[in-house]
Amino acid sequence: MAKSSKASKAKTAKKAPAASAKPSAASDPAIAATPTLVSSQAQGKADSGQPEKQGPVLDWMNKTRQWGVRVKPGKAGLRLGDLNVGIYGEIPMQWSDQSRNPRGAVPRKGMPPVGYAVREKVGMWADSAADLYEEAIQRRWAPATDVPWNTVEKLPSDIERAICQVCTELSQFANVEIETIAGWQHQMVYGYHEVKQYLATASFDAARHYECFRKRALVNGGGLGVEGPGQVNRMILESSGGWSATVAYLVLVRAVFTMTILKYLARHAYNDAERFIYEHVLQDKARLLTYGLDHLHFAVAHDDEQPAVLATVLAIGDRVLTRDLRDPALREALAIIFGRGIRGARRQGMEMYEEMMADFMQTHLGYCRWLGIARAPAEAMPPPLNRHAGASVAA
Amino acid sequence: MSEAVDTSGEHELDLSWMDQKGPWDTKAEESRYGLTLADIQIGEYGETPDVSDNLTGRPRGSAPRPGSYRIGNYAVRTKNEIWLDNASFLYEEALQRQWSSATDVPWHTIEPLPDDIEQAECQLATFFTEVEFVAGDVPARWVSETTPDFFEARQVLLAQVMDESRHMDVFRKRAMANGGGLMQATGATSGFVGSIDLSRDFTEMSSRLHLSGEGAVLTMFRMGELMAQNEAEKAMYRLCAQDEARHVAFGVMHMRYMSAAAPERREEIHCYLDEAEGQIVSGVGNPAARGGPVGESLAILLGGGKDKFDEGMNMLTAIRRRQFREYKKRIVSAGFGERFENGRSRLMEMFEEAA
Ligand SMILES: [Fe+2]
Ligand SMILES: [Fe+2]
Repeated sequence: MAKSSKASKAKTAKKAPAASAKPSAASDPAIAATPTLVSSQAQGKADSGQPEKQGPVLDWMNKTRQWGVRVKPGKAGLRLGDLNVGIYGEIPMQWSDQSRNPRGAVPRKGMPPVGYAVREKVGMWADSAADLYEEAIQRRWAPATDVPWNTVEKLPSDIERAICQVCTELSQFANVEIETIAGWQHQMVYGYHEVKQYLATASFDAARHYECFRKRALVNGGGLGVEGPGQVNRMILESSGGWSATVAYLVLVRAVFTMTILKYLARHAYNDAERFIYEHVLQDKARLLTYGLDHLHFAVAHDDEQPAVLATVLAIGDRVLTRDLRDPALREALAIIFGRGIRGARRQGMEMYEEMMADFMQTHLGYCRWLGIARAPAEAMPPPLNRHAGASVAA
Repeated sequence: MSEAVDTSGEHELDLSWMDQKGPWDTKAEESRYGLTLADIQIGEYGETPDVSDNLTGRPRGSAPRPGSYRIGNYAVRTKNEIWLDNASFLYEEALQRQWSSATDVPWHTIEPLPDDIEQAECQLATFFTEVEFVAGDVPARWVSETTPDFFEARQVLLAQVMDESRHMDVFRKRAMANGGGLMQATGATSGFVGSIDLSRDFTEMSSRLHLSGEGAVLTMFRMGELMAQNEAEKAMYRLCAQDEARHVAFGVMHMRYMSAAAPERREEIHCYLDEAEGQIVSGVGNPAARGGPVGESLAILLGGGKDKFDEGMNMLTAIRRRQFREYKKRIVSAGFGERFENGRSRLMEMFEEAA
């Protein structure tokens, strides 16, 4: 085993308050790093910084499954989806490899598994993922500098309180989205990297949403309100048995609900900053909706059991959602915003809220129909969803 | 003046929620760089608890509901386990410096290369495509297990996940852009004990990922000019280096905070650094390690061909020296510099031998 130099030993004797001089990992085979990266030739000779004399081995050369690929950039640059040519575009239904072997590369044998729970294409795939990934990057924005914060002006106290409540709950929605996506992403195999990459943009979007609603709440003489009731939050986080069921809750229920709220908020924004936030978050959420619909469509098309499973999942979801809806905070805060104050909330505000909820329910049910997921008739749904599902929506 | 108000058809409101709120009269103001995360760390909203009791996922500073469910299940609830002082800055910078591998890399500057160089480039790109997203998967998992009371740190990690996604992607693009393709994976980030994936403590993970792995990669990306054969590759390395510098900064700043806030963990962290240094030297996660597919590819790229392999190897040795130097600087900055004084670290000894 190599020893420390005399000079450094002398120093050790004088001052070694916290870190005692121990053999370093580099010199101690018992704690040396696991040899996986370097070839057998390099192992054991790697701890010298000096040039080695022997020549290259080059046994890695010519190891490829397909050579001669030349993907050219198009009008929108060189996009992720453009790379799916030849064997690199072959996306099998199962991906049993539990390493980070890139799809199309020559795998390396004998590697211990990283451990992925989602290993089937049907469990995560969406054809649009690669495009959504590139779109997310092109349409990036920064709350700090892109939102015209200087347009936020003092508002009547009831309206400010209402906006702050809505921002508190939307920020908490974003938190659940972050924790859910981040909690699933590492469980997904490498073979479907487009989805992992898209989800990286989605959790980053959610981080921005978490941030911009918090900023809005803290910028105009208000503050945060009371946390949301959290029944749907719990449902999304608890649905850990399969990503498709999580997507049903995260996208088909929560994202459609959030997007409907944002659409109505954008119509009732009090300044350009709010309008900017609502519209941009809506734009980001539209990508999540596209991914979710696309994935569920794929899952339903390739798994006969899936429509019935999702029907059950969503029927449970209806009951959980109604519990959240019983809480007055979000409903009344939205009504105050729509009605331009408490007074207006009692009539126009609540009418607008009712219209919004009908819009939400019918959008949601429309997607379910498109996906072929059976849903209870409006009259059989728990209140108030029965009312919203049965109402007519203004165009 | 009074007016008759028609109250028929009016909804009854509860409004009791209006009194449940966090600190009020908060008015964050924009600074030079817009309304940043630092600008909203005001009053109680800027206070982070040493230990978080927030198990419902409520936004920090909002009023709690007594009946809320404990759905958080957060493994990281102690501030010093994940905190760093400049998280807001790193996050805002990440937002400002996002780039697109589709449009910000001048792909048209790539022209056919000699076969040995193209193969070396593709082997290197295969390696990066393979390993880059360990730095996406792993921080994502930790984000999902960290209380939102420490959201500033989580935001930086989410930006990192995004960055790594782009890194994985830009190297895959490079492998397929010039008549080559992917080559053989290395298995560098498999599930072996001691790997970044399997760390069971955030700080240990950060020492393996941010300080050892990404630190080594950052030096390499910074030397991209030497490896690059065209403007596209130069851009690729430059843009990746910019991102990687933030990831490494996270690790350094976290260690610094940890060191000050939890001195009882210093010896433990030195043990992590012992291992991290072993990884830098012996090659796990360090593409500049001598030999093997990646080291040999680098020697070919640096030298300018298979026939200039020895020149390339000498340049690689210089890069390794620089890796050691930069690593040492970071560890000193993180507050663990004594290991270079008391003989615990052999890194500089090896550097001096090589010099
Ligand atoms: Fe990276
Ligand atoms: Fe990184």
